[in-house]
Amino acid sequence: MKTSIFVLIVSLFLAPAFAADINERLDADPDGRIDIFNTAGSVAVSGWDRNSVEVTGNLGENVEELIFERDGDRITIKVKVPRNSSRRISSDLIVRVPENSSIDVSTISADIDVEALRGEQNLHTVSGDIEAEVFGGDVDIESVSGDASIEGGNGDNETAASTVSGDVTLLRVSGHLDVESVSGDIVVDEGEFERVGLETVNGDIVYRAGLREAGKLTAESVNGDVDIRFTGKVSARFDVETFNGDIDSCFGPEPERASRYAPGLELRFSEGDGEGRVTLSTLNGDLRICTD
Amino acid sequence: MNEQHDRPDAGDDDLVAAAGRLTTAISPERDLWPGIEREIAGRQRSRWTPLLAQAAGVVLLVGASSGITYLSIKDQQAPVQQVATELLFERAAFGSNYALGTDYREAHGDLAARLDDELERLSPEARADVETNLALIRAAIADISKALANEPDNALLQQLLLKTYRDELALMQNIGALTQHVMSRQDI
Repeated sequence: MKTSIFVLIVSLFLAPAFAADINERLDADPDGRIDIFNTAGSVAVSGWDRNSVEVTGNLGENVEELIFERDGDRITIKVKVPRNSSRRISSDLIVRVPENSSIDVSTISADIDVEALRGEQNLHTVSGDIEAEVFGGDVDIESVSGDASIEGGNGDNETAASTVSGDVTLLRVSGHLDVESVSGDIVVDEGEFERVGLETVNGDIVYRAGLREAGKLTAESVNGDVDIRFTGKVSARFDVETFNGDIDSCFGPEPERASRYAPGLELRFSEGDGEGRVTLSTLNGDLRICTD
Repeated sequence: MNEQHDRPDAGDDDLVAAAGRLTTAISPERDLWPGIEREIAGRQRSRWTPLLAQAAGVVLLVGASSGITYLSIKDQQAPVQQVATELLFERAAFGSNYALGTDYREAHGDLAARLDDELERLSPEARADVETNLALIRAAIADISKALANEPDNALLQQLLLKTYRDELALMQNIGALTQHVMSRQDI
C-alpha cells in the first residue's frame, strides 16, 4: 500500500504538466487601446466587429496568473510569470479586439501575429518573429533578432521598423516607410510610397515598389548591397554614390569615377520631370537601379 | 517617426544654409581642415565645391549633434545626457585626424554604461546578438575612418561615418528603450 502511494506521488510529480486553457472576455471601447505582454510562446491578435476583447489560448504551467483588466478605454492583458524563471512559462494567447483598437504588444521571445486590425500597432520583441497586416493604421516595430513581416492591403500608412539582426519584409505596404537594421536584410515588395528611408550597416536592401510623384527615397548601407527596381514610371533626381562598390543602372547615363584618386563611383541624373528625389549610397556594397 | 521621414528631406540647400550660419557664429579652436586645402588645390575638384567641402564638416557635426539630441529625447522613459550643439561643434571632429569631442564621448559613455546594464537583462543569445552587431558597426566605423584618412574631403565617407556613428548610438539607445519597455511590463 505504501509503495502504491509512493508510486502515485512520484507519478504526479513526473507527469507532464498541462497548460491551463483560458477563455475570458471584457467589454471594450470600439477604438480603445489594448496593451499585451507575454514573455514566451505566442500572441495572435485579430480585429473583429464586436465591442469586446476576448482572450483564449493556454498558459504555461509555471505562469502565476493572467492579468486581464480594464481601466477606462485601456485594457491590459499580461501573462505574469515568476521572477527568474524561464521554464514552462510559454503561453499562447489568441486575442480578439475591436477592429479600430490600437495595440501595444511586448514580448521577450514570443512570436507576434496581427491581422484584420485598423488601429495603430506598436509591436516590440527581443527575439520573437513578427507578422502584421496593416489596413491604414500606423505601425511601429522594434526587434533585436526577430524577423518582421508586414503585409499591407488597403490605403496608406506610416510604417517604421527597427531591428538589430532581424530581417524586415514588407509586402504591398504604401505611404511612408522608415526601416533600419544593422545586419538584417530589408525587402520592400509592391506598394507605392511618398517617402522611404532604408538603412543598414551590413544587411542588403531590396526595393521593388513604386515611387509617387515628388516622392523621396533614401537607401544607405555600409557593406550591404542596394537593389532598387521601380514598378511603374519614376520621375526623380538621382544621386547614387558608392566608395568601393559598383553601380549598375538600366537607365540614365553611365556612372563616373567620383575622383581620379579614389575608387568611388557616382551617378547623378534626372529622370522625367525630376520632381522626386532618389538618394542611394554605400561604402562597399553594390548599387543596382532599374525600372520594370 | 516623423523625424526619420524628414531625413531624406534634408536637402543640400538647407544644410549648406544652416552650415553657413554656423560658420559665422562659431570660431573653432583650430582649423578643422588643415592640409585639406593643399590637397584640394593639387587635384581635380569634385562636384563638391570648396565651400561645400568645408560646410560638410560643419554639417556632419551639426548632424551628429542633432542625432544625439534626437536620440536623447526620442525615448522619454530613458533620458540620456543632452549635448549642447555649440560644445559639440567646438570640440568634436571626425575621421582619423581628429578625435570626437569630450561631450560626445561622455554621451556615448553614458549610453554604453546603460546598455551594459540592459544587456544583463537579456538572454545570453540575445546579448551575444547585440554585441556581435555592435562589433559590426564599430568595424564599419573603423573601415570608414580608414578610408577617410586617405580621402579627408570625401563627402560620401563623411556622410557614411556620421550615419554609422548614429547607427551605433541608435542601437545602444534602442536596446535600452526596448528592454525597458518589455521588461517594465514583465515587472508589473
